[in-house]
Amino acid sequence: MAHRSEVIEVRGVRTQLFKGGRGGPLLALHPEFGAGIWAPYLDALAARFHILAPDHLGFGGSERPAWLDSIDDLVFHYVDLLDQLGIERTAIVGSSLGGWIAAAFAVAHPERVERLVLAAPAGVKLDGVPRYDYFANPIEDVLAHLFRDPTRAAQLLPTEFGTEVIVRGYHELTTLARLSWNPYLYDPKLQQRLPRIRTPTLLIWGDDDAVLPPAYADLWATLLPFATLHRLPACGHLVAFEQADAFARLTIDFLSA
Amino acid sequence: MQFFYFHLMPWPHLPRDFERAHDSAWVTLPNRLYDPKRGHRLYNEYLDELEYAERLGFDGLCVNEHHQNAYGTMPSPNLMAAALVRRTSRVKLAILGNAIGLRDQPLRVAEEIAMLDVLSGGRVISGFVRGIGCEHLSLGVNPTHSRERFYEAHDLILRAWTEPGPFTFEGTHFRVRYANIWPRPLQRPHPPIWLPSQGSPETIAFGARRRYPFVSVFTPYANARRLLNEYREEAARLGYRATPQQLGFAVPTYVARSDAEARRDAKPHLLWLFRRGLKIPPHFLAPPGYLSEDTLRRFLLAGVKPPSELTFEELERDGYVLVGSPATVRDRLREIQRDLGIGLFVGGGRIGDMSHAKATRSAELFAREVMPHFRPRRGAPARPGTPARRR
Repeated sequence: MAHRSEVIEVRGVRTQLFKGGRGGPLLALHPEFGAGIWAPYLDALAARFHILAPDHLGFGGSERPAWLDSIDDLVFHYVDLLDQLGIERTAIVGSSLGGWIAAAFAVAHPERVERLVLAAPAGVKLDGVPRYDYFANPIEDVLAHLFRDPTRAAQLLPTEFGTEVIVRGYHELTTLARLSWNPYLYDPKLQQRLPRIRTPTLLIWGDDDAVLPPAYADLWATLLPFATLHRLPACGHLVAFEQADAFARLTIDFLSA
Repeated sequence: MQFFYFHLMPWPHLPRDFERAHDSAWVTLPNRLYDPKRGHRLYNEYLDELEYAERLGFDGLCVNEHHQNAYGTMPSPNLMAAALVRRTSRVKLAILGNAIGLRDQPLRVAEEIAMLDVLSGGRVISGFVRGIGCEHLSLGVNPTHSRERFYEAHDLILRAWTEPGPFTFEGTHFRVRYANIWPRPLQRPHPPIWLPSQGSPETIAFGARRRYPFVSVFTPYANARRLLNEYREEAARLGYRATPQQLGFAVPTYVARSDAEARRDAKPHLLWLFRRGLKIPPHFLAPPGYLSEDTLRRFLLAGVKPPSELTFEELERDGYVLVGSPATVRDRLREIQRDLGIGLFVGGGRIGDMSHAKATRSAELFAREVMPHFRPRRGAPARPGTPARRR
């Protein structure tokens, strides 16, 4: 599917934006891995929607401003981005970190969200169910935890490996640490505020999620009164990357209903 | 030259299969491997060794802060300094250093150092460090804030020591509306601040600007040389000449009757230190944001071997360690002094799983047969680089 990327300034901050497809607007928020690319699952979605897939600040081709240290900062940034693009209201899909941002966005700006698709979103904590620690494990182990089928991790890796690739990866993990080192991958306030979301929401969770185990799916389903939960068998944490077709089909059905 | 006796207080009783069974001596090494009963005996032996170093004529005793590991079981160096204060009377107590940015409230460091300074009659040297990458995992401190916290904690502590209280401090990471420490430190304007470091350019520039002594710690000789040169150059740029009292070199040191005996005696313990104590996987050593991207890039391009992969021959050849007969160590130290221009030497100490007896013998030989050659003779003018001891 034809797509293009451009770097625009949003309130003076360089932001890389991938665009493609025709139809109603769909803001696609990437997980903590997989920035800087037009992901394969976007192809399927672009058949029905006009996709706007920005790199989060501090990821991929987007700059990391000195003030960036919270999910709220990204919510404000995306409000600015939509304003700048003249989009009043949009559907949002978000995976993991992207799901967290999407949910925080919907809490703060419900009038601007048509529908929400959250794939294994981060952002809440369940006592006694540890979240996998990205910060204290070797990268090979991290990659292995993202997918049920570890060979699927190849799509996140560059074809050529070298010093700059490692530095780039360290840069993105550093951004993640700035956003969520401690509390790790959650915001206590978000948990308290999620029940405010009245936007129709589809939750998608892999049965074999080794980062945020499926107990988190049940927690989200109870916190969001207007959510439907769909569990995908034989699927790991990065749902949209591991099962792009199933993810796109579920998303299109839900957003078109 | 001033001589400092350094102790890490390691946990030597690692299981035989440690290297196979454990990825790291830090962060995740199960603390069931620590036995408090054996720890009781060890702590007391370690303190005996430090106290004995005063009697041997060392100028200072060094303790340091490390958390949740087998390399050094001294999470609070200030407690160990307190244990030493009343059992010593002359030596400097060099805390190298407090990891000031790891504290939730750095005023606690300002207070504790002030207490030690008053208690010891002004014998405290206060080193400041960031804490290593691992410790940000072990204490839940965001490594992306590490540098900012270090500098901010430094500013707060320095003000608390020197500025009449109460005053208000409102930083990004630390805030206190009534900073007003009791007691105040005894030394004026404040206890000497040292920077023990493996040396980022930023730390060196900071040290040179403030004229804080810089002590290169546990790094290959060529790297120590580069760091100390950078410090000197930075000082020159700032319009002054760095003195030997501003330049220090810390290196695990072992002395025995002959070179062969020293090597044979020290080898297993030095290998313990590097292979076991410093066994740290990269994701613990450099959690995200702990290193600047420039430092990481330089590190990757330089292709430096992790300490845990070094052989004994490499440790000797690259000057990670100083081992030999008194004559060999004396000659080498003379070269080091000339080459690095240092006035502070930090050595000695019980290395890894070395026995008390071995460590003591080495310290005695060093004190009796090496140190005196670096002391000014009575009535003789001090040679350049060997200033008279300040007392």
